[in-house]
Amino acid sequence: MDVLINLSLNGLATGMLIFLLAAGLTLIFGLMDVLNFAHGGLFAWGAYSGIWIYTSTGSFFIGIIGAILTGMILGIVTERWIIKPVYGNHVQQILITLGLMLVLSEMLKVVWGPNQISAVTPDYLSGSWEFGGIIIIKYRVFIIAVGFAVFLAVQYLLKKTKIGLVVRAGVMNKEMVQSLGVNIQRVFMFVFMIGAGMAALGGMLLGPYSGVIYADMGMEFAILAFIVVVIGGMGSFTGSVMAAILVGLSGSFMAYYVPDLALAANMLLMAVVLIFRPQGLFGTKG
Amino acid sequence: MFSNRMNILYLIVAGFLAVLPFVYDSRSMLILLSQVFIFAVLAMSYDILLGYTGIVSFGHAMFFGIGAYTVGVFMKRFEPETSYFLLAVLVTILLTAVVSYFVGLLTLRLKSHFYAMLTMAFAGLFLVLAEKWRTVTYGNDGFTFRVPDFLKDRTDFYLICLGSMVIVFILLKRFTNSPLGRVLQAIRENEQRTESLGYSVLHYKVIASVVSGVIAGIAGILYAVSLRFVNTSVFTMDITLDALLMTIIGGVGTLVGAIIGAGIIEFSHHWLTELAKVHWIFERWIIFFGIIYILAVMFFPMGIVGSLQKLKFRKKKKTSIPVESEAVSQGDS
Repeated sequence: MDVLINLSLNGLATGMLIFLLAAGLTLIFGLMDVLNFAHGGLFAWGAYSGIWIYTSTGSFFIGIIGAILTGMILGIVTERWIIKPVYGNHVQQILITLGLMLVLSEMLKVVWGPNQISAVTPDYLSGSWEFGGIIIIKYRVFIIAVGFAVFLAVQYLLKKTKIGLVVRAGVMNKEMVQSLGVNIQRVFMFVFMIGAGMAALGGMLLGPYSGVIYADMGMEFAILAFIVVVIGGMGSFTGSVMAAILVGLSGSFMAYYVPDLALAANMLLMAVVLIFRPQGLFGTKG
Repeated sequence: MFSNRMNILYLIVAGFLAVLPFVYDSRSMLILLSQVFIFAVLAMSYDILLGYTGIVSFGHAMFFGIGAYTVGVFMKRFEPETSYFLLAVLVTILLTAVVSYFVGLLTLRLKSHFYAMLTMAFAGLFLVLAEKWRTVTYGNDGFTFRVPDFLKDRTDFYLICLGSMVIVFILLKRFTNSPLGRVLQAIRENEQRTESLGYSVLHYKVIASVVSGVIAGIAGILYAVSLRFVNTSVFTMDITLDALLMTIIGGVGTLVGAIIGAGIIEFSHHWLTELAKVHWIFERWIIFFGIIYILAVMFFPMGIVGSLQKLKFRKKKKTSIPVESEAVSQGDS
């Protein structure tokens, strides 16, 4: 029983980290029809800058803020300079964001060196609680809480505010929104900023979770996030949450019970979903 | 494009490359050029997908890797004799054909984004397989193997690589100029229209996938033989990315472009690594690479050969019918 609870918590925490990455991807894809292959680069930049700020200031909170800001700034730059010239051309989008991914992860090595950097949990989040034999690690609960809070915040933003209304309408029909006098360019930039900020936050939180950060983690997690987005249905926010948790849980259970298959499990899951339901579990367009 | 003048030029270049090892005896140059030929084969096979059919595959490394591992396993398990080598080639062709057929059938129904991801996932599966199936692949570390005698000499191997490249070039040239190749290009230009003309688009895409997969497998064989070593790196994304870069920089949709791209990229790999001794920033040469690549996609989407062709095309148009050339250039931009 305690193994089950531990595995579930573990999976949920990983799932939330993937969610932070995948939600940005799916928002950007849903609204702008851009599959941002450089998203993992923003994630890794968030991790590096956040951990760097955290270790130099000593405050975990400032580190988180710094990571989010870094992600947002990088997001704006990416949207303006890299993605804007290739709107509407899928092949070029794939190619150009992939190139950016290369640059972003190499730049990390230039700024912070090629070696992996260790990250420690702040005092007030390290350690664990014990309830009758069940050990609950505080930091995992923290990640789950943050992920859930972000989910609620974005959900609120999308469902209850005017910006969210515009964004949701933009996903449905870009031209119509524009003809109603909304500056869709600005909405694009805003969504990109939010998505990038979320990715950076995910990266930052991953640092103390896995203990080390390294330059290639962007690509590794990006693949996971793509899988999540595809399983959940591209452009579906709810789908990406569900799929992220599903992938996180299946990953943690597989790693415990059938470790040999763990690496391939997500890929297989995605392949099966795509073959039978090309639009994903919650997707609407094929 | 398929004019006599170009053919003569190709012949001269091929002849020059063929006599090169006998007049200019530099070991490192021979190795580098062999590497260029091998990757040119890979890039040409990728160009069949990206340039001629208009689909972005992120799983091209899986065919390359199948070739590399097949020859490696055969040479390791059995005696490194010519007959076993030929058997390995045959098995590679069969395996890559079967895998590309089934993967193509499963994935090519999907739209560009989804297709790219699913192929990435399939390539990932093969990477995991190569890591986990230790009894055959020796896991992450890979293994060395011996090669048959006729592949041992550097000069001979150079000529074999050159020959393979030329043969693949001629075959693919023939393929792309055939009616079938024309249908593929029609799919690239406008998929819906091609479908409405009565062509089964999926069927043609699968054919393109099989052709490109088999040739990528052959490139993989040559690559493994050139190193006499194989490890899981042949299945990684880097291989696919290299093929992609070569195709883009050389010129999408032209086979010569793929060869030129392979040359440029292999040589710049080589030089930039050398430059790392001069200044540390060149150790991170991938940055320059990435930046050039982004700029190429943005401003130079047709690559070197493509842009040259467009220039030539425009000039020809301008001299004959000036009014229409205006319309063409506007339509293009």
